[in-house]
Amino acid sequence: MEHIRPGMDTKDILRRLKEAKGYFITNTARDLSQSDFKNRILLHTDLLAAKPRDAAGYFSLEITGGASVHVDMLRKQVNPFLKLELLRREMPNTLFQTLCRGVNLFGYRPYPENAIRLTVREFAKYVEVWRVFDFLNYIPNMVPVFEEVKKAGKILEPSICFSTGPEHTDEFYVGKVREILDVTGEDIILCIKNHGGLGTPKRLGELVASIKQRFPDLLIHYHGHNTDSNDVPRIAAAILSGAEIVDAADHAFTGFYGPPPVLSVIQTMEAYGIRAAGVSTDAVVETSEALRPERAAYADFESQFKGFDSTVQVHKLPGGATGSSFEQAVKGEFLHLMPQILREELPRVQIELGNWWSVTPGSQILWTTAVNNVLSGERYENASGDLKNLLLGKYGPFPFYRPSEEIYKKAFGTEWKKILKEQGGLAKIEDIDLEKEEATLVERLGRSVTREELVLYLQHPNDAVDFLKFEEEYGQAYVLPPQIWFRKGGFNPGEHLDFVDYTGKSHVIEIGPSYSSENGKQTLYLFVDHHSEVFLLEEEKKAGVEAAVIKLSKEEIASLAKVGDMRAPFAGNVCQIPVKAGQEVKKGELVIVLEAMKMQNPIESQLEGKIDQVFVKLGQAVQVGDKLLTISPL
Amino acid sequence: MKKILIANRGEIALRILRAVQEQGLIAVGVYETPDKEARHIRAADEAIWIGEGPRKDYLNIDKMIWAARKAGADGIHPGYGFLAENPDFPKACEDAGLIFIGPPAKVIHALGNKVIARTIAESAGVPVIPGSENLPYGQEGEERALAFAREHGFPLMLKATAGGGGRGIRKVNNAKELIDQMPLARAEAKAAFNDARLYLEKGVINPKHIEVQVLADSFGHIIHMGTRDCSIQRRNQKLVEIAPALIPDQTLLDNICTAAIKVAQEANYVNAGTVEFLVDEGGHFYFLEMNTRLQVEHTVTEMVTGMDIVRAQIDIAAGKKLKFSQEDVHIRGHAIEMRINAEDPKNNFLPEGGRTITVYNSPGGAGIRLDGIAYQGYVIPQVYDSLLVKLTVHGFTWKEAVERMRRALKGFAIVGPRTTIPFYLNIVNEPDFQKGIFNTSYLDLHPNLFEYKEGDREVAKLARLIATIHHKGFNPFAA
Repeated sequence: MEHIRPGMDTKDILRRLKEAKGYFITNTARDLSQSDFKNRILLHTDLLAAKPRDAAGYFSLEITGGASVHVDMLRKQVNPFLKLELLRREMPNTLFQTLCRGVNLFGYRPYPENAIRLTVREFAKYVEVWRVFDFLNYIPNMVPVFEEVKKAGKILEPSICFSTGPEHTDEFYVGKVREILDVTGEDIILCIKNHGGLGTPKRLGELVASIKQRFPDLLIHYHGHNTDSNDVPRIAAAILSGAEIVDAADHAFTGFYGPPPVLSVIQTMEAYGIRAAGVSTDAVVETSEALRPERAAYADFESQFKGFDSTVQVHKLPGGATGSSFEQAVKGEFLHLMPQILREELPRVQIELGNWWSVTPGSQILWTTAVNNVLSGERYENASGDLKNLLLGKYGPFPFYRPSEEIYKKAFGTEWKKILKEQGGLAKIEDIDLEKEEATLVERLGRSVTREELVLYLQHPNDAVDFLKFEEEYGQAYVLPPQIWFRKGGFNPGEHLDFVDYTGKSHVIEIGPSYSSENGKQTLYLFVDHHSEVFLLEEEKKAGVEAAVIKLSKEEIASLAKVGDMRAPFAGNVCQIPVKAGQEVKKGELVIVLEAMKMQNPIESQLEGKIDQVFVKLGQAVQVGDKLLTISPL
Repeated sequence: MKKILIANRGEIALRILRAVQEQGLIAVGVYETPDKEARHIRAADEAIWIGEGPRKDYLNIDKMIWAARKAGADGIHPGYGFLAENPDFPKACEDAGLIFIGPPAKVIHALGNKVIARTIAESAGVPVIPGSENLPYGQEGEERALAFAREHGFPLMLKATAGGGGRGIRKVNNAKELIDQMPLARAEAKAAFNDARLYLEKGVINPKHIEVQVLADSFGHIIHMGTRDCSIQRRNQKLVEIAPALIPDQTLLDNICTAAIKVAQEANYVNAGTVEFLVDEGGHFYFLEMNTRLQVEHTVTEMVTGMDIVRAQIDIAAGKKLKFSQEDVHIRGHAIEMRINAEDPKNNFLPEGGRTITVYNSPGGAGIRLDGIAYQGYVIPQVYDSLLVKLTVHGFTWKEAVERMRRALKGFAIVGPRTTIPFYLNIVNEPDFQKGIFNTSYLDLHPNLFEYKEGDREVAKLARLIATIHHKGFNPFAA
């Protein structure tokens, strides 16, 4: 059979998938990076693996989507579109796959419909397979993406998110598949999205069988995580029950929370006499051999928490969020509370909030709520803006049951019924004025912008601008290997750094001497292509100065707020400042929104007055107790 | 001559001392305090401090004579600018028993006066742009100016009699502008040249600026070394010079060269000089002036002839006969010179004085000549000119020369000040220039030459990033 490759007609591809003997494999490199390396695997590394990966004969390579679009810009300083273009050049034979959060796209909250459609159109130029999901399995949230993917002639792969519990029956899921098919028609691949790696092999086998029994011609793509080390058996059960495509990743980089190794899947299924269609095991092994030396450079991003975690069946954290959760626990100094959060509070919050699917952005809401509940000692105190939106039904209806009145009361006060009645229901988001957005971006960058740059800006405005400015200042930095990009503690004098710039020119930079000059600057010499270049750098602040800043207690921050001295109650980034100095505000009026742990938290005025002074800027990172703004009473 | 003092600074001092040193003679440099680390001082065999400056000591004849005596020099080369066209300088040298490497005082004096220079050209039978006598002060001057305007029409050029090098020239388009500009031009001429005299010339529209390099020995032999085209100018200041002029009409070019020799003969010229002409679109040429010095752009002529003009100057001054005849002068290929200045073309060519060059890499290879004084760590002087390096390239064809110029420009890496390089890159990429079509209105007709992005080399950007990662001990853009 001719290998499935980009440029083939969608119907033709679906037909080939159905007719082929054996099963297909998607290499979920994106999910591997997100789940086991905090999304840090660089384009440089993916390019090293590109040739053998292309030769491996995968159905697709999932290489974009999820949190990667954001992290590409935020931590890797690479244009997510350019990444796809460069990989396509090296991988002409493999379909590229994305993971799209429906109405939430590649972000954490709903986008305006015209922004969604534009984004899908632009990415569809590079991406053949579109896996789409909604954390409430609410089908209407995915419809604009469905429509645009179909319009672009690409392969649509709607997902049913999977979880466990009394509500999660075959009947329920078969019903969801029916709902999807009613909207999309038959020419799709259905994804069973097991983002937590939940359920036993037996359970997954039964689910696939039930769906296949009801829809025998429907192509099924099983996606799982190996958190409990049991995903290969689940994959086997899914294939044996009729799934055509399964997800796995390169063994040289597999960890604990992401996909299992491709080779283990192949070996397991061979014992059943079932072959991976079109896959070259030699190329699979070769890929890992090319990748293996790179893994050490990513050591800092592997989980702080080593070992498989079978308790995932209880806490249900999705693999893609596990690493970042532990990272937050370390940064927030609450790692010691993790057993309590994971074993007690998170499962409890999960049930209390409706036992839906712990996946972005729902997983962040569950996680943040559980962490807040434990850290503050008062459950559901200070409900985050996103939790409030969830309770109001802004993300969609609860699939099984609504949280208790107690929780509504905690979040909205005694007036909660009135608030729910007035403000409840699916978020209606007005289309944005794309020309105006483009003009804003042009103004912020001081140059004309491409459509792709506009799309990036619509996803994550401040981070996109920072990235585009970075590019101007520091060039196409994706050419740097992880050994340079993530280097800690500086380079050694005399060390040679070799790289090839984006034009294909090779360079060598030798680290020269550095010394402090009298004006408080540091002088550093680099020998760039054998010519010395001088860099004048600001002297770093002495350690310990920052530690001397007196930390305000939670109570002190709250009492300062009552007199109009608004301080940051937690560390985060300023993501909205709806007020200006001189403006009058009422008590309870929104004055600032702080984003922490991907969740937006409203800060409200505690008194009626006039904004005196605003101390922070949009996008600024603040620490606990930092001055935000002052309000003087009228 | 055994020891020659170079009464100048910067790239031209370096150029001259190279010619001196390669003949086995001793080169003496002079410097004012701000130039104490300058490159021409490092390269000179001896250096003599002549004062705190700035500029005034380089203009001080007595100090130059004193320095030459102190060093035991027997010759002085004035370079260009400063004292080069001051007739008192050769006079003072003569009085001191020193050889002045340049024309005799009275030749400098005569040709330095625009009106006398015109008379010389006219008596040599060379066409001159119709011009007035020096205009008297007051109402009488205005009346004479208006009468001249009636006879020759507008536009007219209002010129300072003592001006030169493109300075002290104003274009006037009508009678009102003429009358309004006269007192301003006088004040400016007085300030700039300490000579308030003015005269008028007929304006030649969109001319080419063509000049001829001549060499004359004291035995009456005069040869020319072909033409240069210096049409690409900014406010009458030359930016780009080429040799030979790209005029297809060979008879016209021959006539221009012959005219140049006639002027030099009529002026009893000795040493190297340049006769400048304007050539209009109809192929008429007019004598403009004769420069009695070595010129900045002499390098293009050296490139296409293979002859060393400075060495010839020294030989002539030493009383030797010219080593070559007119028949020995062969023009081979094409040369282009561009002045890499530390200036911001977008900001009216404002000099970047005070900035330090932190990276200085220059191009090399076939057909490239550099006459420069910049180096890593060089601070752009605020008190002198901002010329960093003259880049001259040679190509067998015009196309090859343009391509080589582009390569050479791209081969520079100068970090610190803004430079004219991106602007020049726009010129070499501009189709009219590539076809060799340009005259003095070139910059006005191509305003898009000023549109470019001030871009670093990619590796410089990445080096900056690596410096940041090293300095901070982590990558702040990955955290």
